[in-house]
Amino acid sequence: MKGNLRDFSGTQILNLVSLAKKTGTLGVERREGRAALVFQEGKLVYAAIGDADGSLASVLARDGRISKEQAAALAKRAERTGDKQLGLLLIQKGYVSQADIIKSIKKHALSAVNQFASWKEGQFAFEPDRPPDGNRITVPLDLENIIIQIARVQKRDAELEEEIPSLDVHLRFVERPNVSLRDLQLSKDEWRVLKFIKPENSIRMIAKSLGMTDRQIRRVIGSLREAGLVELVQARRREPLSSEERKQKRALVGRLINHLQGIGAE
Amino acid sequence: MQTQTVKMVITGPFNAGKTQFVRSISEIDVVSTERAISTEAERVKETTTVAMDFGRITVDDDLVLYLFGTPGQRRFDFMWEILSEGMLGFVVLVDSARPETFREAKSILETFRAYAPTPYVVAANKQDMADAWQIDDLRIALRLEDGIKMLPCVATDRESVKNILLELLYAILEEMDEEEAGK
Repeated sequence: MKGNLRDFSGTQILNLVSLAKKTGTLGVERREGRAALVFQEGKLVYAAIGDADGSLASVLARDGRISKEQAAALAKRAERTGDKQLGLLLIQKGYVSQADIIKSIKKHALSAVNQFASWKEGQFAFEPDRPPDGNRITVPLDLENIIIQIARVQKRDAELEEEIPSLDVHLRFVERPNVSLRDLQLSKDEWRVLKFIKPENSIRMIAKSLGMTDRQIRRVIGSLREAGLVELVQARRREPLSSEERKQKRALVGRLINHLQGIGAE
Repeated sequence: MQTQTVKMVITGPFNAGKTQFVRSISEIDVVSTERAISTEAERVKETTTVAMDFGRITVDDDLVLYLFGTPGQRRFDFMWEILSEGMLGFVVLVDSARPETFREAKSILETFRAYAPTPYVVAANKQDMADAWQIDDLRIALRLEDGIKMLPCVATDRESVKNILLELLYAILEEMDEEEAGK
């Protein structure tokens, strides 16, 4: 099974692998990097995507359970002993528990799958029965719920693109005199965006300042709009009319009004 | 004497009543570019506008108002920007009895606002239908800003259509007043 993500979406491929209960490795090559997703009878068991390889040390570091320096040292050790031995050692020493390891690996795999599902282009090939590289810890993840969740998120993202087609619009707070912002329970990203809402800041400018992608800023703005906290304001970009042009336009509109008012009155 | 032409655009989701709106007020038979509907899901009517509807109101020997109705289906949205060039203002027509189209109406509204910063009004069409949402509820559903007019409309009724166009013209004057006051 091979092809390009231009022709088959990531969710379609995941669905196929899950339904057909495939075992093997799905490799994806694109200009920005590669990915390797490993499946066992249709369940995802391992993922490496871009810089985020699925090695235990890097997974734990990304999840904040160990520092980057510790991860670098452990990675060297894992080259000799493998991830499973490393994991046992970390558990015995009390750095992490087995549950922590499983949780971190699942979180990493979920993030990898979500990333993969968002790719619109890339050459993919499925190698049956190929296991993950190196001595890795594999944790099976059911794909069905993941696929449904991804499809929901993608649908919402498509809706948000329609609701906010241009990021060159500005925002303003909706006047709600009985609501205090202090009492609201908002996410960290929502608070960060709220602080930037000023008449002179377009959504694009806010996103750039906060280092957010188009998709991320649309999601946050979408939530704030749903909550009725902010609204879009179209920035007026017209050239101002001269006084003579204004006078002419008024006269024109006046004539149109008079004529329309007369329709049906005959 | 050279005739001055001005343009207003009537837009909105598929089957909101745009073609009927133009038809009700135009002094000429509306020039419609239509095709038979091909997909079952959209077969709530027989034909749909594929490029534009075109209607005319002659004010005087030297002044003509053209009404351009946009196609509602998304796959013809490449026409929207072309039709919006040079417009005096636009009307967004919403089918009050089909809440599943409200999101689309909002999206179209935002798209046209991005094309051109001209005044607009929102017409809640099909207000004569039993299932029609009330104006106040529609305003909330569409998350319309306070300053934007939302008006009841029955596109088959000429007086109703006339009223919508008048309100758009009043909105244009109001905006000019605000701009002058702001100087």
